[in-house]
Amino acid sequence: MKLTETQIAELYKFTRKHYVEHYDVQTELVDHLANDIEQNLEENLNLSFEQARDTSFKKFGVFGFMNVVEAKQKQLGKKYNKIIWNLMKEWFSIPKIIITSAIFMIFYILMSLNINHNYLSILMLILALVDVFLVSKLSKKSKQRFKEQSKKYLLEDMIFRMGAFSSILVFSNLLQLSTFLKSSPSVYFKFFVASLITLAILYSYISLIIIPQRAEELLEETYPEYKRVNNL
Amino acid sequence: MNRPDIFLSRFNKQPNDYTFHNMGNQKLYKGSLQTIILKLLESNDKMYGYEITQKVKELTKGELKITEGALYPALHKLEADGLLDVEVAKVGNRLRKYYKLTESGSKETANKLAEMQEFLKTMQHLVNPKFSLE
Repeated sequence: MKLTETQIAELYKFTRKHYVEHYDVQTELVDHLANDIEQNLEENLNLSFEQARDTSFKKFGVFGFMNVVEAKQKQLGKKYNKIIWNLMKEWFSIPKIIITSAIFMIFYILMSLNINHNYLSILMLILALVDVFLVSKLSKKSKQRFKEQSKKYLLEDMIFRMGAFSSILVFSNLLQLSTFLKSSPSVYFKFFVASLITLAILYSYISLIIIPQRAEELLEETYPEYKRVNNL
Repeated sequence: MNRPDIFLSRFNKQPNDYTFHNMGNQKLYKGSLQTIILKLLESNDKMYGYEITQKVKELTKGELKITEGALYPALHKLEADGLLDVEVAKVGNRLRKYYKLTESGSKETANKLAEMQEFLKTMQHLVNPKFSLE
């Protein structure tokens, strides 16, 4: 017996109820459950759809879909980091390395000048505020996006949420660090801080602006079903 | 001692310990899950998750049953490592995700199978010395 359209929709809801939030993960589980349910129903004609479904679900063990979701998160987390890494590398090759070293030099020289180090702290605060502004802009965009569409992919969620989270973390730490600046820091310290600031700026730029801009392209590449489902 | 407390026994158990259904000796098979998956994909071009569980059951005449909670994490791990590639097709009224070996996946399969052969040979020597030829 083949499951109906309604029963398939029912299974999507079932996975959602069991803490599988993302469409890509749900889809694989729904197909698996559907196959197993069909088999159960064939073997025992007296079973109801719900009974057959619960039998199939039990096979996932006491942790339910948790293991599957966790493994998927790990896999896509790796993928997301790889995307960031590849984009980051661009900034260390010609021609973009010119901009990268310019940013580095600005901060290095600023720290070398004999000015009140509070100015640098203020500059860091401004950078952090810009970061907060970009994060809030992105989160607005993501709210809008996820409101409009019912299907949310795991990587999509990462693209629109992870960057915000980690760049806030990076900048709040940098702000802390800038309070340690003395009036005449050592060369190593200046080098270290200027590198950190440069990396933080690049990271935020990539994760908050570049990656969300390329979202469609990245999602199509990761999910063969992405285009098809959205055109349905 | 049998613990009456169901919660304790539940959380003491590592989720990964539960790799195969109804197997007293599942620990022996646990490390082989990836090799089994890779080998199946090598001889079947592309397969979906449910098909893999059924195939293993069929090939081992029901002796070995992979649990769902272990299969998909293993597949996702192999995909993350770049050994598997995915394809999605509409089958009937639902979407189905197929897995197939990538180029490095094929190489890794050969490695893993060689390792497995080596392992079996060593165990043979240890467990059953009189049947070994050397």
